[in-house]
Amino acid sequence: MSESVYRVLVVEDDPHLAAGVVENLRAEGYEVDGVNDGRRAVDWFDTHSCDLIVLDVMLPGMDGFAVCSTLRSRGTTTPVLFLTARGDAADRIRGLEAGGDDYLAKPFHLQEFLLRVRAILRRWDWYRASTRTQGSEVLKFAGNEVDFRAFRGRSWNGEVQELTEKEAMILKVLAEKPGEIVSREDLLEKVWGYDVFPSTRTVDNFILRLRKRFERDPANPIHFLTVWGVGYRFLSGDES
Amino acid sequence: MKRTRVFQMTVLLLVIVSAVTVGYWLFDQHVRGVEKTTALVRLYDQQSAAARTLLAAGVPVEQVRTLLPDLYVGADQVALAPQRRAALLDEQQRRLRQYSWEGGFFLFALCACIGVIFAALRAETRVLNEQEQFLALVSHQFKTPLASLQLSLETMGLRQLPPEHARALMDRMLADLTRMATMVGQILDSSRLSHGRMELKHEPVLLDATVHRVVSQYLERAQTDHISIEAHVAPQLQVLSDPIAVDAVVRNVLENALAAVAPVGGGKVTLTARAVGSEIELAVRDSGIGFRPSDHEQLFRKFSRLNAGAGSRYYGTGLGLFIVQRLMQLSGGRVSASSEGLGRGAEFLLHWPSVPVPP
Repeated sequence: MSESVYRVLVVEDDPHLAAGVVENLRAEGYEVDGVNDGRRAVDWFDTHSCDLIVLDVMLPGMDGFAVCSTLRSRGTTTPVLFLTARGDAADRIRGLEAGGDDYLAKPFHLQEFLLRVRAILRRWDWYRASTRTQGSEVLKFAGNEVDFRAFRGRSWNGEVQELTEKEAMILKVLAEKPGEIVSREDLLEKVWGYDVFPSTRTVDNFILRLRKRFERDPANPIHFLTVWGVGYRFLSGDES
Repeated sequence: MKRTRVFQMTVLLLVIVSAVTVGYWLFDQHVRGVEKTTALVRLYDQQSAAARTLLAAGVPVEQVRTLLPDLYVGADQVALAPQRRAALLDEQQRRLRQYSWEGGFFLFALCACIGVIFAALRAETRVLNEQEQFLALVSHQFKTPLASLQLSLETMGLRQLPPEHARALMDRMLADLTRMATMVGQILDSSRLSHGRMELKHEPVLLDATVHRVVSQYLERAQTDHISIEAHVAPQLQVLSDPIAVDAVVRNVLENALAAVAPVGGGKVTLTARAVGSEIELAVRDSGIGFRPSDHEQLFRKFSRLNAGAGSRYYGTGLGLFIVQRLMQLSGGRVSASSEGLGRGAEFLLHWPSVPVPP
C-alpha cells in the first residue's frame, strides 16, 4: 500500500452504523469524512475529493444507486463500495451497473469490510501507478486511441468513446501484456477483486463492449481475441 | 383463513349437488321421455287396432268411444283424442318449464359459486403476498441495527479500546438492542391488532399522568435533537380506555412527532388536551417536516413510512400510526391528522370518550 493517507467518504444515514464504520476506518489510518444524506453526498464532491466512497443504498434525499450514477455522469471516477440491507443478486447487479466497484450486504463482518476497502484501494493504486508514467497513459492501436487517465478514447472511425472505469481497467490489464493470454480469473481479480459477480461471464460482457467500441468488425475481432476456455488475448495489430 | 376454507368447501358441495341434479335431469329426460313415448305409441296402436276391429265387428261408434276414451273415433277414422293430446303436450311443456327454471337457477348458482371461489382465491393470494411482504420488510428493518450491533462487537474483539471508548460502544449496542426490542413489540402489537385479538379494558385513565410519564421518557432524546416538548393537560381530564392502550397511543404519536422534527434540525412538539362535549381531545402539534395532503390516506396504513429515513436518526417500522389508529378504534375513539404541507409541521388529534360525570 502506498504511504500517502487515503481519504474515504462514508455515506450512511444510520448514526450508529456510520459511527462504527468511520471509527474503524480511522483506526486503520484512513482520513474519513461522513455525510448522512444522498444529495449532500453529491454536493460534497463539488468542494472535496476522496479515494473511496462507502455508500449506503437506502438513503434519504437520494438513494445510493442514484448518487453513484450521478457522480459517474459528472465524471467522478472515485471507486464506490455499496453497503445495503438488500443482498440479492438483482440488487448487486443494479449497484454494479450504477458504477459501483463492490457490494457488501448488511450485516457484514468488520474484517471483510476492511479487506474489501483495502482491495479496492489497491486496485486503484495499481491503475493509477500504471497510467502515471510517461507513455503509459495513452494507448494507440490500429487507428484507435485510449486515454486511460481521462477514461476517454477515439475509435478508428473518429468516434469519441467515453469509457467506464471498468472498461478502462480491463483494457489496461490486457494492454500491459500484448499478445499474452490473460485468464478471466486474472481479469476479475485485478479489476474487481472479490466474488462480486456470480460468474466470469461478466468479463465476457465487458470484452463485448470493448469490441463494439474499437473493433472494425466486432463479430470477427482482431484485437480482443477469445482464447476458448482460458481467457483473452490483446493484439494491437502492429505486431509483425 | 379457516372461515374461507369452510366457505370454499360449502361452495364446492353446492357445485357437486348442482352437477348431480343436472345429470339426473339428463337421465330422466332420456330414459323416462323415451319410455313414455314408446309406451304411448304402443298403447295408441293397440287401442286404434282394437277400435278398428270393434267397428269392423259392427260395434256402434258410441260404444267404442265409451270403451276407449283416449281415442277420437269417427265413422271412418280413429285418432288420439284432442284433450288427451293437449294433456300430453301440457306435460311436455311443464317438464320443459321445470328444466328451464331449475336449470337457470342452478346455472346462476354455479356462476355465483365460481365467482366466490375466484374472489376467495384472490383474497388468499393477497393475504399470502402481504405476509411475504411483511416478512421481507421486517427482516429488512432489522438488518441495520443488527449490522451496527455486529460492527460494535467485532470492533471490541478486533481492537484494544480505551475504557471510555468501550463504554461508548456498549451504550451504542444497548441502544441498538432497545431499537430492535421496540420493533419486536410494535410488530407483535400490530399483528395482534390486525387479527383483532386484543381485548381492551374500558376504565377511567388520567390523561395528565400518562402524558407526563411518556414525555419524561423522551426528554433526553428530544434534547439531543434540539426539540422542546410542551404539554398542557389539565389534571382532572379522564378518558375512558385501557391504560396500556392510552400509553401506547401517546407514545407512538409522540415518537412520530419527534421523528418528524429531527430532520429539520430541531423545533417544537406541543401536546394540548381539552374536553370537547362528551370527548377528551389531545392535540399533538409538531413543527416538523409535515406531509402532503394527498399522502393523508397513507399515514395510518401498515408499513407506510412517508418520511422514511428523511434525515431522521430513528428508523420507524411504519407500524406506529397503524397501531395508534387501531387502538383508538378499539377504545371507541378516533385519530385524525392534518398538515399544511411539506415542511409546515403536522397536527394529530386524538379523541377518546370522556368519563361520564355521575349526576
